[in-house]
Order: sequence, then C-alpha cells, then structure tokens
Amino acid sequence: MAAKINLNDPPSSASSDSDVVETHVDFSDVFPEIEIEEEKSGDFYHTPASPITVPYCPRPPSTGSQKSPRSRRQRTTSLNQTTKPATNSIIRTQHRTIYTAGRPPWYNSVGQKVEPFVIGICGGSASGKTTVAEKIIESLGVPWVTLLSMDSFYKVLNEKQHEIADQNEYNFDHPDAFDFDLMVVTLQRLKEGRKVEVPIYNFVTHSRESKTKTMYGANVIIFEGILAFHNAKVNEMLDLKIFVDADPDVRLARRLKRDISQRGRDLEGVLKQYTSMVQPSFNHYIAPLMSHADIIVPRGGENLVAIHLIVQHVQTQLQLRGLKLREELANASKLNMPTPDTVKLLPTTPQIRGLHTFIRNKDTPRDEFIFYSKRLIRLVIEYTLSLMTFVDKTVETPQGFHYNGKKMATSNICGVSILRAGETMEQAVCDVCKDIRIGKILIQTNLQTGEPELYYLRLPKDIKDYKVILMDATVATGAAAMMAIRVLLDHDVLEKNILIVSLLMAESGVQSIAYAFPDVQIVTTAIDPEINEKFYVLPGIGNFGDRYFGTEPSENSSEKVES
Amino acid sequence: MGSQEHENCNGYDYCKSYKGLHILKAHDQIKELQTILRDRNTTRSDFKFFADRLIRLVIEDSLNQLPFTNCDVITPTGETYVGLKYKSGNCGVSIVRSGEAMEQGLRDCCRSIRIGKILVESDVDTHEAKVVYARFPEDISQRHVLLMYPIMATGNTVSKAVNVLKEHGVEEECIVLSNLFCTPQAVQTVLDLYPKMKISTSEVHHVAPNHFGQKYFGTD
Repeated sequence: MAAKINLNDPPSSASSDSDVVETHVDFSDVFPEIEIEEEKSGDFYHTPASPITVPYCPRPPSTGSQKSPRSRRQRTTSLNQTTKPATNSIIRTQHRTIYTAGRPPWYNSVGQKVEPFVIGICGGSASGKTTVAEKIIESLGVPWVTLLSMDSFYKVLNEKQHEIADQNEYNFDHPDAFDFDLMVVTLQRLKEGRKVEVPIYNFVTHSRESKTKTMYGANVIIFEGILAFHNAKVNEMLDLKIFVDADPDVRLARRLKRDISQRGRDLEGVLKQYTSMVQPSFNHYIAPLMSHADIIVPRGGENLVAIHLIVQHVQTQLQLRGLKLREELANASKLNMPTPDTVKLLPTTPQIRGLHTFIRNKDTPRDEFIFYSKRLIRLVIEYTLSLMTFVDKTVETPQGFHYNGKKMATSNICGVSILRAGETMEQAVCDVCKDIRIGKILIQTNLQTGEPELYYLRLPKDIKDYKVILMDATVATGAAAMMAIRVLLDHDVLEKNILIVSLLMAESGVQSIAYAFPDVQIVTTAIDPEINEKFYVLPGIGNFGDRYFGTEPSENSSEKVES
Repeated sequence: MGSQEHENCNGYDYCKSYKGLHILKAHDQIKELQTILRDRNTTRSDFKFFADRLIRLVIEDSLNQLPFTNCDVITPTGETYVGLKYKSGNCGVSIVRSGEAMEQGLRDCCRSIRIGKILVESDVDTHEAKVVYARFPEDISQRHVLLMYPIMATGNTVSKAVNVLKEHGVEEECIVLSNLFCTPQAVQTVLDLYPKMKISTSEVHHVAPNHFGQKYFGTD
C-alpha cells in the first residue's frame, strides 16, 4: 500500500533561498505514483482500478533543490481507497467478489450526458484547501472523483523568467503565473465528461513535461487552487464554490513550520518570500475572491461541521442527477418502431440457427458450448469486417492478367471487449485481423441498484483514429453497451466508427442503442423479442459469461432459482 | 474482356443456369480475401493466413447445404428456442493435394467428422485424370459427402472424384463440392455430368488461380 503521504504540502509558491539537505531524500518511497507514471509512456494508458484520478504535480522546489538530481518534488495527493475503510469497498456475494464500487451512468437513456458536479476550492497559501478537498472526498464515499489542481497550469517560463525563478524572485502567487486559457479548456472538457490530458508541470525546468496525466470519468470534480475563482469562465463552470479561510497568522505559522521543519529552510528566507510575494498577492488577488464563494469555511480542514454540510449538499445534488437507467431502458416502449438500418443482422442460414440451437440449449455441456460459441463468434466477426469501407484495388496475378479486387479502406481497426463475456470474442478478432489492438472495459451491474457501473478501462492511446469493434456476447437492455459506447465517445471516437458486435440482442436493447446513437452500427446474429425481470434475454442464452467460463451457480445453490 | 463483368458479380449469372451452383454471398470483405489470394505480390505467410480465412467461410457456407431437421430446445431461462439440428451421417472427402488445405477448416467446424481422401493424377501425356488412391469411411454410401477441392479449372479432377464416390455407392444428390475458385467451364463440365450434385464456391471466374496449392504448401 502507498506509504503515508503528507497532504499538508504547502500549496503554492516557489520559495526563497537557503539550502536544504532534506530535499535530497529519495522520494520514490513516498510517491509510488511516479512509477506508475512511467508505465503510461507506452501505447496504452489506463484509468486505474481505483478510479480517483489525481494528477501528480511537482511543486515549486524549496530552493537550492535544482542542484540535486533527486530533488524534484513530486506532490501527489493520493486520496483514494487508503482513506476509506476497506470493508465498504468490497462486496462479496456467494459467487463473486466485487472490489470497490464502479462509476454509475453519467448519461440518460438516450445517451445524452449528465454533467459532473464541479466543486471549486479557493483560498490562500497554507489555508487548508487540500485538507478540505481530502475530507470532502473521504466523506462523499463516491469513487469517481477527480481532483484537479491549479498547479498543473503554471505557465511555461522563458529564459529570463527562468533566471528570476532561480533566484526565487518569480512570483508564483500572481495570476500571470497561470495559463488560464488551458485551464478553461481542460475544465470545460472534464465538465463535458470527456477525456483530458492534464499537463504535468516541472518546477525544475519550469516547463511542461512531455508526458501528460490522463483524466477521465468523474462524476464529481474538485478544482483546487489559490486563484480558483479568478477567471470568470472558470467560475461559470463551478457548481459549488468554497473559500477556505484561515487567519493570516495561522497561515504564516503553518508555512513557517512546514518550510522550516519539513523543508529545512531558514526563517529569514521564508519570511522574505512571504512578505514580498505571498502576502501581497493574497491581499490583492486572493482575498477579494471570497465574494464569489457560496460557502466560506473558516479554520480549513478542522471545520468538520462545514465539511459535513458541504457533503450533504453534494450528495443531494448527485441524487437529483441520479438515473434509473436500466429500468428505464427495459420499460422503453419503442418496440413498435421499425428496425433501424444501422442494425446489421447476419443472414439467418441453417448453419446459424444450428449453432444457436446448440448454445441456447440449457443441457449443452460446456465444451460443446464453447466450441459452437466460437464458431458463431467467428462468423459474426467476419461479417463485421465486411461492413467496413472498401476501395477498389487492381492486382497483378501469376496468371498474367489484372484482377479488379477490393481492399479495406482503413487498417486502423481495434477491438474493445466489454468484460467479461465480451472477452470471449477477442480470440476471433485476433484470428481474422493480424496484430489488432485490443482494449478492455469492465462494466458490472450494481447488485443494489441494478444499474451498470464502470470499473475499469484500458484503451489504445490513439483510439480516436480507429474503427472500433466493440464486443459483448449478449445485449439485453443495452445498458452496458451504451455505457461502453459513451466511454468511447468521451475518448473522441467518432460515432460512425463504432460497431457494437454481439451474438444475441434483445429487441429493446437494439432499439435503445440505435435510438441513442444513430450512427453506431449494431451487428448481431439474432434478435430476441423479450427481456425478463432479471434483464435476461428471452428465450436467450442464459448468462453467457457464466456458461462459457464455468462460473454458473450450481444446481442446488439456494438463491439462484429461475422460475 | 467479357470476363470483367463476371468478375464484378462473382459469377452470379451462372447460378441462374445451374441450380446446383451456390456462390458465397459476396461482399467486399470476401472480395478483399480473393484479391489478396490472387495478387502475385502476396507473401506466403499472408497467403496462407487469408486462404485459411476464406476456406473457413466457404466451409461454413457449404455446411448450409447439408440436411437438417427441426429441433426445439429449452434455454437456461426456461423458454423454448425453435432451432434446428443437423443430421448425423456426414463426412468430408478431400482431393489430394490442394483439397487437404481445406481439411483444417472443416475440422474447425465439425470436430469429429470423418475425412476420406482421393488422389487424382493427370497423365503427363494424355492429360487424362486418373484416380490413383482412394480411402473412405466404410459406410460412405449411407453418408452425405462434403468434397473439398479449392481450385477447379477444367473440372476433370472433380468429375473423376465424383465418379469414384458414385462407384462406392454415394448418391449423387448427397455430394456437395466445397470450392474457393472455379471457372465457368468447370461448372459446366461437372454439373452437366452430375446434375444432382451441388457446388458451393466463392467465385466463378474465367481464370483460375492455379498457383494456389503450390503457394499454400510452399512448393513453388
């Protein structure tokens, strides 16, 4: 588990002179995320299984640190599961174990998105903004929270500014030090539920690192910084504005204590920086922002009453936005509408019906079930490829004449499987497309609410340029498929480049997907008319994943009796 | 030049003249596979990869020609699915050597199917096809036969093979030829001789890609 992380790292400002011995500590023990960051340099990035995406932002060096190769300060506010009691995040049922709760739907039954709730936290240096943010996240108990810090948006310095910064005279507390344009764009995209690349600011070089931090999938966004309310466009996007107030004496005392005892700086240096830049900036720029705030929290993170009230408000807001998606989909009475022409049903040949007969029969042994499923999967994947765009191509033959043939217009095809049942289709995709990239999305049904929840995703980095074959073995209400499509769209995949492929779909699921995403192509080998109250397709296949992987409850198992 | 038209429609015109001829429903995807197989610049590894894909599709399609009966089953949800069941008593027969390239495709679809073999050789002088070897399941006369031969240029080899099958008591209407590429002449030769048998192919075209066997097995 992550080592204990100091959350009281000072939230601003390059600081004064004085050398430090302590900054030469090896931070890799303390900041394990640094390693994870390296891993992301490959073709894939992922949203971690513990879904709180927190950017790691190197802080301004506490002086003299440039001299040391090891001294780059990595601040990572890791606010995930470590702060929560573990018992809350594991659900064990008789047959499966679910770790942590996933992200519930963030869009409605027609695929339109519900905006995440954005909380802005503003306040002076060392006022306790991070502590407040941490306590809010902890008490919310909502896993899909993103914490975005203003520190990510410090401007890239030119040579002259760099020199000034080296002498610790660059004012990092001034609004001019921030790139507000990028900040607005980033927040806007997060608010739209899209994937964003958040810059990682390097305080040694005063430039942005080539790597970025990928953030995606938050229902609550906390935006925190000394000038969080400075920009009017940012303010418009904030649903709740919190100003954390602390007595100037307290803030100075904290800064002194922190900088001297934890960063080994001298009294004079800290005071000089405080009086020349930090305090004037506070008085001039930060304090007036208090008028924008909805709530002013005195005494920062210690003020549990205020935090409790804030959390209650956020929870109410989230409930108001809550969606009963699956039920709505199952009850949707669109059945009388004609089948949309984006639905591509494989021609029902005797062979297809024969294969269906095997895999639908409840008495089919598993080895046969797997064998015949694989055959059917191969057929549906081949059929899917035939729906791609082709161009004319003339080739020379060994027989000495020219043959007018065809060639697929794009070679950028990737597969994305919806775990677990969708994984059964990966092999077939690999068998027909050499070297294809495969992404994965894990969506599970929340046993309490019956809603699909997003747990995990790992997609090819440049997925927006691909035709995506999205695979799930069966589609009943379409809730999981729609969530997966929504994820792809949030990653800038074009709707017309998505093909949702499955062995069996229910009529209502087909209608829901086709209605919500009119340009997504829907490929299947059979469409069944109904769904039962447990959201199984009728007559259906049963639970495809359980039958394929052999995890179905045994016959005499008490609870799971289908009547 | 007349071949151009047939090329573009994969030879569907011939289906009108011959009831026994069935051509795999062509879409661009299949055309792409055919293009790669015909391209002289295709590497051998690609050739084999794409040949196997086309073979699988042709085999799956040929299986549609075999007899089946209705069969209702109960699904895990307790509902009835109105399905169908293939009759048992089928077997495959491959014509050595190129027909053997299709055996794996058949095995991938029917795990335990019996497979017989026929070796037909052309006389170097007379160009007359001659059966040199044949080995079938004992009760082949009771079975439906999926005859496998990927490239059919003249139809002589297949005619000989069908003749051997008939000599072993197989009914003409119980024979389905599974084929990738054939010429109109071959279709004519075979179906004129054996009008009750069926041919399942992916393309009818004036020029047959005769390099198939050599390139697939790497003996060119």
